[in-house]
Amino acid sequence: MHFVTYTQSTLVYVMTELKYAEAVRAALRAELATDERVVVLGQEVGALGGVFTTTKGLQREFGPERVLDTPISEAAIAGWAVGAAMAGMRPVVEIMFMDFVMLAMDQIVNGAAKLRYMSNGQLSVPLVVRMPAGAGTRHGPQHSQQLESWFAHVPGLIVAMPSRAVDVYTMLRQAIRSDDPVVFVESKYLYFRESGEIDESVLPELPVTQTARVVREGTDLTVVTAGRMVQRVVEAARDLHESDGIACEIIDLRYLWPLDTGAIARSVARTSKLAVVHEAVQTFGWGGEIASWVAEYCLADLDGPIVRIGSQRAPVPFAEVLENAVVPTEALIKEKLRELATY
Amino acid sequence: MSELDTAGNGLRLYRSMVIIREVELHIERLHRAGRMAGSFHSSVGQEAAAVGVCEVLRPDDLVSSTHRGHGHALAKGVTVGGLLAELFGLANGVSGGRGGSMHLHHPDSGFLGQNAIVAGGMPWAAGAAWGARQQGRDIIGVSFFGDGAASQGLFYETLRLAKLWNSPCLFVCENNGLAHSMPAERLFGDPGTHCRLVAEHGIKAEVVDGSDVLSVYKVAHSLVGYVRTGYPAFLEVTVGRARAHSLNDPEYEYRDRDSGKNWLEENDPISSLRKGLPDLSEEFDQIDLEVSTLISHETTRVESGDINQANDALRDVYTVDSGVRND
Repeated sequence: MHFVTYTQSTLVYVMTELKYAEAVRAALRAELATDERVVVLGQEVGALGGVFTTTKGLQREFGPERVLDTPISEAAIAGWAVGAAMAGMRPVVEIMFMDFVMLAMDQIVNGAAKLRYMSNGQLSVPLVVRMPAGAGTRHGPQHSQQLESWFAHVPGLIVAMPSRAVDVYTMLRQAIRSDDPVVFVESKYLYFRESGEIDESVLPELPVTQTARVVREGTDLTVVTAGRMVQRVVEAARDLHESDGIACEIIDLRYLWPLDTGAIARSVARTSKLAVVHEAVQTFGWGGEIASWVAEYCLADLDGPIVRIGSQRAPVPFAEVLENAVVPTEALIKEKLRELATY
Repeated sequence: MSELDTAGNGLRLYRSMVIIREVELHIERLHRAGRMAGSFHSSVGQEAAAVGVCEVLRPDDLVSSTHRGHGHALAKGVTVGGLLAELFGLANGVSGGRGGSMHLHHPDSGFLGQNAIVAGGMPWAAGAAWGARQQGRDIIGVSFFGDGAASQGLFYETLRLAKLWNSPCLFVCENNGLAHSMPAERLFGDPGTHCRLVAEHGIKAEVVDGSDVLSVYKVAHSLVGYVRTGYPAFLEVTVGRARAHSLNDPEYEYRDRDSGKNWLEENDPISSLRKGLPDLSEEFDQIDLEVSTLISHETTRVESGDINQANDALRDVYTVDSGVRND
């Protein structure tokens, strides 16, 4: 297969405070400028700049051949990107809301995820599928789901789920450079509520070592979480420390796959207690995988039950009071963590 | 005689069709003898579509196919040995024994591969052709699919996108009259309906009789030339399904027991070509002999090939072994 060589970037890099959504845009911009094979495809990503502004200005800067408005055809967009990726391109597909990815599921699961394997390594699908997920923005049941557990179950996919702007920037650039298909789960709640200092002059390291991050060190219990819930857990842990003197160690997984089991095991060995917090529905959610992995391999380290905190088994309702009864709130997380700490 | 139906072309097309026919019949026998496992979807009788189109393609044009795709693979350059080894599940198979009958992939031959999900290969070929053009490569894509694909949303989605973005892709609908047991006639009406339907979308579309490989070749030649100028086109090839949907499909439950056989007797593209070029019968006989020898030779050769090793089962799930395991 033929590859276009990397071109010299003309971007001026500076250290900037960027919001989560701006970090998405900055990462896309950096990769569009660096590699001609990178294209951005999605509904309203062009003139409009994406419904969450994550592609704002990119079409103007890179042209309609690189940043392409698509029809409302998720399945064809995904399949098209799989084909283009097989021919050497590096497409980044935006699915407007993660809830819409069901329409593209076949091409992601039966195509992108399997092609390297079933072609015996002859084909690569360097594809990124970005999707804003989760509740908290009052979009209602078909626009608020957190479905990363489904993708984490599929061999062949990398599942990235950043919780902060700095990670968004690095992880998205790495995802675009990955030769494996990456499902990139963004938090639309955090788009304009989370920001960080981003050094755009630092190039992402390759190959990527997908590791978890210790957000806060503690000795009483380990909390494994990812995405939007990281912020909630941090706040709950801070309160618990102030009010009860409980020291939580918080691990932000960043990637559901590859899963950094080492980071989890090391932490549980220190704290002897584990809670998993995620926004995805608790039953059959990824917290169950973490819990069973720890039960299987770290049982001797445990000194208490493993606690899972996830969303109730219900669609995400519109009314705030109902949503708060379904999605884990800071109060609920605090209560459950306190119970575990005092077990 | 135009340059398209010279004796040389006739012999080339004949040879390609006979290879497909004989390989399919051979696979049938291997299954019956218990030497192959799983199932397969025979393309017996549909050879003219694969051959007529692929014979006008260049080696680096990119083709996607379907569950009924042995013919497309062979016509695009996958070797008989590579295909048979794959169906034996051997490591020297074209997909390393990981794909089997419905998942042949060989990008070096321009064969992106089969997609066993109906209509699933359409955006692969269209996207790949578009992506190649983006990189300045002068190639086209060809997507083969059956009449059943027109029941999928992806069919329309892909055609619209190909039109919108001028993907140089030829969409080849092999209308064999049956989507498994559902008659195309009942769903879509007469053969040619798919062509009219697509033409209404503003895409250049033609229909051709799949029992006449020279006609398919001529129409494909013209459409491929058009596609190379940077546009999508659509070709409906009317064929029939000589065999059951798959190996052990009890087709007599939904159609007359002999209807496939009868259709083939009246519409066989291979015997039609022979009849149309009576002066070449000696050469045709010679090809028959060569193909038969090739297949038996290749079967013996690949059957003693590398058996897959269990410790190889987790290779190539990812580019880099992520080091994360089930333990």
